[in-house]
Amino acid sequence: MTSKFKYNEEALENLRIEDPGILDRLIDHQSFRENNLKKNRAKVDKRITLEEAVAQYVDDGDIVADSGFSYVRTPLQAHYEIIRQNKQDLQYIGSPNTNHSFTVYTGNCKYTHNSYIGAEMRGTDRMFSKSVQQGKTKILSEWGHGSMGLGFKAAQYGEPFVASKQLLGSDMIKYNPYVREERDPWTGEPVALIAALHPDVVFIHCQQADMYGNGKIFGPAVNDIAMAFAARKVIITCEEVVPEMVMRFDTAHTYIPFMIVDAVVELPWGCLPGCCPGYYYWAREWWEWLMRIAMTSDEAMTDFVKNWIYGCKNQYDWIARLAEDFGGYQYIDNLRRMQKAEEYLIEDTGVDFSYKQVVPKWD
Amino acid sequence: MTKPANPFEQLAYNVSLQIQDGMIVYVGTGLPMVGAILAKMTHAPNITLVYESGGQDPWEGPMPWSVGGAATYRRAPMSLEMPHSFAMAANGFVDIAFQGAAQIDMYGNLNTHFIGESYHNYKVRLTGSGGGNDLASLSEQMVLVGMQDPQKFPEKVDFLTSPGHLHGGNSRSEAGLPGQGPKSVVTQLGVMDFEPESKRMRIKGLNPGMTVEIAQSCTGFELLVPEHIEEIPVPSDDILRILREEVDPNAIFIEFPPRTK
Repeated sequence: MTSKFKYNEEALENLRIEDPGILDRLIDHQSFRENNLKKNRAKVDKRITLEEAVAQYVDDGDIVADSGFSYVRTPLQAHYEIIRQNKQDLQYIGSPNTNHSFTVYTGNCKYTHNSYIGAEMRGTDRMFSKSVQQGKTKILSEWGHGSMGLGFKAAQYGEPFVASKQLLGSDMIKYNPYVREERDPWTGEPVALIAALHPDVVFIHCQQADMYGNGKIFGPAVNDIAMAFAARKVIITCEEVVPEMVMRFDTAHTYIPFMIVDAVVELPWGCLPGCCPGYYYWAREWWEWLMRIAMTSDEAMTDFVKNWIYGCKNQYDWIARLAEDFGGYQYIDNLRRMQKAEEYLIEDTGVDFSYKQVVPKWD
Repeated sequence: MTKPANPFEQLAYNVSLQIQDGMIVYVGTGLPMVGAILAKMTHAPNITLVYESGGQDPWEGPMPWSVGGAATYRRAPMSLEMPHSFAMAANGFVDIAFQGAAQIDMYGNLNTHFIGESYHNYKVRLTGSGGGNDLASLSEQMVLVGMQDPQKFPEKVDFLTSPGHLHGGNSRSEAGLPGQGPKSVVTQLGVMDFEPESKRMRIKGLNPGMTVEIAQSCTGFELLVPEHIEEIPVPSDDILRILREEVDPNAIFIEFPPRTK
């Protein structure tokens, strides 16, 4: 396959990308525009189930992106559905790309655009490290959060690229085909040109949306406004579908307009095991289990994935398991209380944030 | 009698001293955040903390579980998009930013990509840049934070994720990067800075009990030694009380030795 575009050649060589054609869709503005011209513009009820959304809108080989920050307001349950439907040869992009970890492990994510993978102070992602080393997934570009964010912003604003000061002097510029060092035509100083980035499909988790796809986001919007405008297919997953009048009477926090949205999926608890601002806290014990036990061996990880992804039909199944393993309905309710307390939406004194770290006996 | 400061507490205190009142401070999770909140509760009450996921000036609450978590936008008057947070740094609204790394070299360049021989042949792959490259490229001043040993402080990083003073001298500004670059390095030994001409790392002050020999043996390159080395004081009982009771009451970050690997 030949490529349509001229890439940073040093990066192609350093990353060992033999077929640069796989890089094209991410920056193919023309096909993005043509796709948008064909989109149904009618204000219609777009509600479908998660299962339907993944079946209809995620194609093999798609570049997939998602909302939020690592495991904050990220529809992790949508990733699990992608794995259950066994979509193939996916490319993933996002900043951070921590959530790619699951699809990388299960072999659905063949290519990844890397910015940050890990769970902050809970450690690095050993499975990702191994998967890259074994060639199970291939990194197509290296980014910082800010530089990738600018690529989405350029796409949102309809710019072919954006000039930045990030990445200069870094080795990452030698490992990113979508970035070029050039001279600022006015000052003559070095600048890094970052191409506008267009994912194929993005899952944006909103706390509230109406049936047409107008969406409200509470808490940091991270890259989501830009990504929603940058992607070819936009799926809103949301905690609650609210009447259209909620949007019309209170426009605050409404960032996603219906006309760019393809489908609306009501997906309460859809960010679990991550957190959703205003709604629920992380299932911290689950993460401890994943990072400190499951990730230590292939065998443990296989079991973990079998139990938590393949073995669950949907997020309700998932929550039932969580309750069973960690302390019943009270545990689930406490996730809600902790989130609200930490945001100071409810009185925080007396809310117990302590939890037992899961440390295996051999650790 | 108050229990003396453990190495993490001393480090958090040293971090806090890097902050002057009135600054806009960019923080991640971990000890830098503990140090920044300590500064706010002691000598620098008028600083503003900002976070990469978008939170601006939150109310201090429980230690966060993630940079994207509620503690970074708790009752914040506003929270922005991620590209805005970095634009603030590019436009000169971030005075100081803190960052850790798996490797820090003699010019304050950082590696958070991999440890090993090359990009395709490594021992372990790390997290990648995150916001590190952006902050190191755009903030006015950087303070690097880490545990100093010869592996973590090599002469040259295995991969240059985030720029410090690059190859020393004027190489940072010649590369087109704004800002002054790394100002200091806070470790369990004390505080290092960078010699103004060569931009090589040098000892600035040492914690009680530390010597030049110890510092050198914890470093993979030759540290410059100035004529006068500052003696860093231990935190007062008052400051330790604030640190232990108000900043990190559950000792999530300041417990020593740390709870988990």
